[in-house]
Amino acid sequence: MKKQAFILLLSISWIWACEDRGQQEPLAENAPELFVPSISKTLNVGSFPQPDRNPMSKEGVLLGKKLFFDTNLSSNGKVSCASCHQPQLAFTDAVPLADHGVTGIELDRHAPPLFNLAWNTTGLFWDGGAHDLESLNFGPLTHPNEMGADLTAVLLYLNQEEEYLNLFEKAFPATPIQSATMSRAIAQYTKTLISQTSRYDLWMNGEIEFNSLELKGYEIYQANCSSCHEEGLFTDLSYHNNGLDESYPDPIDKEGVFLGRFRISHDSLDLGAYKTPSLRNITLTAPYMHDGRFSNLDEVFNHYSSGIKQNSSLAPQLKDGIPLNKEEKEALITFLKTLQDDQFIQKHLQDNPDLP
Amino acid sequence: MNVEITFENTLNGNTLELNQEIFTLPSGESFMVKKFKYYISNVILTDSETNTQYVETDSYHLMGQDFNSAIELGMIPSANYDQITFSIGVDEVANSRTDQTGDLDPNNDMAWNWNSGYKFVILEGEFIHQSTQERTGLVFHIGNNQNYATVTLPLSGLAAGKSASISLETAIDELFSNPNSLVPSNLASTTVMGGPVADQIGQNYADGFIKAN
Ligand code: HEC
Ligand code: HEC
Repeated sequence: MKKQAFILLLSISWIWACEDRGQQEPLAENAPELFVPSISKTLNVGSFPQPDRNPMSKEGVLLGKKLFFDTNLSSNGKVSCASCHQPQLAFTDAVPLADHGVTGIELDRHAPPLFNLAWNTTGLFWDGGAHDLESLNFGPLTHPNEMGADLTAVLLYLNQEEEYLNLFEKAFPATPIQSATMSRAIAQYTKTLISQTSRYDLWMNGEIEFNSLELKGYEIYQANCSSCHEEGLFTDLSYHNNGLDESYPDPIDKEGVFLGRFRISHDSLDLGAYKTPSLRNITLTAPYMHDGRFSNLDEVFNHYSSGIKQNSSLAPQLKDGIPLNKEEKEALITFLKTLQDDQFIQKHLQDNPDLP
Repeated sequence: MNVEITFENTLNGNTLELNQEIFTLPSGESFMVKKFKYYISNVILTDSETNTQYVETDSYHLMGQDFNSAIELGMIPSANYDQITFSIGVDEVANSRTDQTGDLDPNNDMAWNWNSGYKFVILEGEFIHQSTQERTGLVFHIGNNQNYATVTLPLSGLAAGKSASISLETAIDELFSNPNSLVPSNLASTTVMGGPVADQIGQNYADGFIKAN
């Protein structure tokens, strides 16, 4: 009964939407099947945020997945989103700075892993410059050193492919293929990349036990790291300067890319501040930091214990560093391994037909 | 009544032509324009005597040289409109996302790729550098909410019931002067995409850049 009312509602909104265009009323069965992914309480998030203009549907996600892996969107036909965001690496690319965009020119920042993106409501990209996923996608698509796409050419391509015509019609019935719908579909897909089935999650759910080293590591994490890498998403989704550099170059042609969050906020306390990355899947996503400068977790720990650079925008809790002895480092690593989510990786390999 | 708004682009009083080496900036540097585009949004016509207003909905128009040069308001309620208000750029709400259609479609090349939002005014060209005497690229991409500027101009000659064409004129030289004088040869960077110089240009276009013709 509830479901029927829902379909009826949907069909009313279709009639509404179509009146303008003077088109025929599509049948209710054509409406995309909306859904909200199930969310583990171990993510420590309330609901699943999505903008009213882009509710997630099975059909939209399927279309978005195809677009995500399609190299034909790029100017040379060789680069897709997955070139820099590879599923088996929790959607990053294992190099400090990617030079596998269409020009081969090295990017200025490291490609972050992609998961649990829907909750990034305080901004996306390392500096939070993008407001939402629906808007963000045009960045990599059109960036000359990423996919270099001409959006008009992309739309021509999509309009010529039978399969895309079908998928778009299902995901966005009676709507022409536009860059807006293309980006919304990609956003729907990237929002389904939800990592919440690691050993840590099983442990939190009382399904497994941690050994004593894992427990010790968890305590070290809680005492030293959780103020920023907040438990649940393992990020506070906020911006901090974690002491990587003393000063920040600002070459004229780089539009402030090395200034961190400052380039968006123009607040001097945000100089060198970047969005706290999640520690989930951290064992899969080396190298680390916004420029990929550390090639393993040992280097990261050494940074926190003895490499903090002091300046006026440094996060106050890092002023004295986080001294960790050998045993503590070992325990911490052992705990961080429990955040690796193999089930998430398996589920999102390109060939896996189950969605989402 | 049927109303349209036309835009003529000028530089130092001369009608703009792209790729012609015949223009001079207020600083005296000779300048060739290669690209000139700008958003006009939220158009309102006012009849100040009766206090009636026509407010265009979904009012976002990308204008430019060798691009759109007219806004068709179409049939609107009749009134003796004597004032036009519009903004240069797009408002904060429209500027907060880019998955939009029509003139806000990001395939118009006006969306930033590292933050969400639009360039409001873009001017690209080449000037002859005062010290090197070399042809030097000049790129102004001006956006950001603080550079959204609303302009009100008096209108004359519009009468209720009669179709009308409102002619407006942009003056590119005003981007370089009043209140902030800019001399391209003296700029630290001739690519301006934000920061203090962009905001100076924003202040310049807020007043005197678009006039009734
Ligand atoms: C050539 C490499 C490359 C390609 C191709 C690429 N990206 Fe990225 N991606 C990056 C880099 C580098 C960043 C970080 C940019 C920054 O923060 O300034 C990034 C950041 C992101 C983010 C932000 C994540 C966060 O946590 O804030 C998302 C989402 C994203 N990319 C999605 C995509 C999608 C979707 C595509 C395809 C349309 C794509 N990327 C194509 C390199 C790439
Ligand atoms: C003051 C907040 C703060 C604290 C405390 C903190 N971090 Fe970080 N962490 C950050 C920020 C911000 C970054 C990203 C910095 C950058 O890339 O410039 C980061 C990056 C990292 C990275 C790299 C992640 C990636 O994907 O590149 C790891 C690993 C890491 N931190 C581990 C830890 C551990 C372990 C602790 C505790 C011993 C800790 N952090 C304490 C804020 C913090």
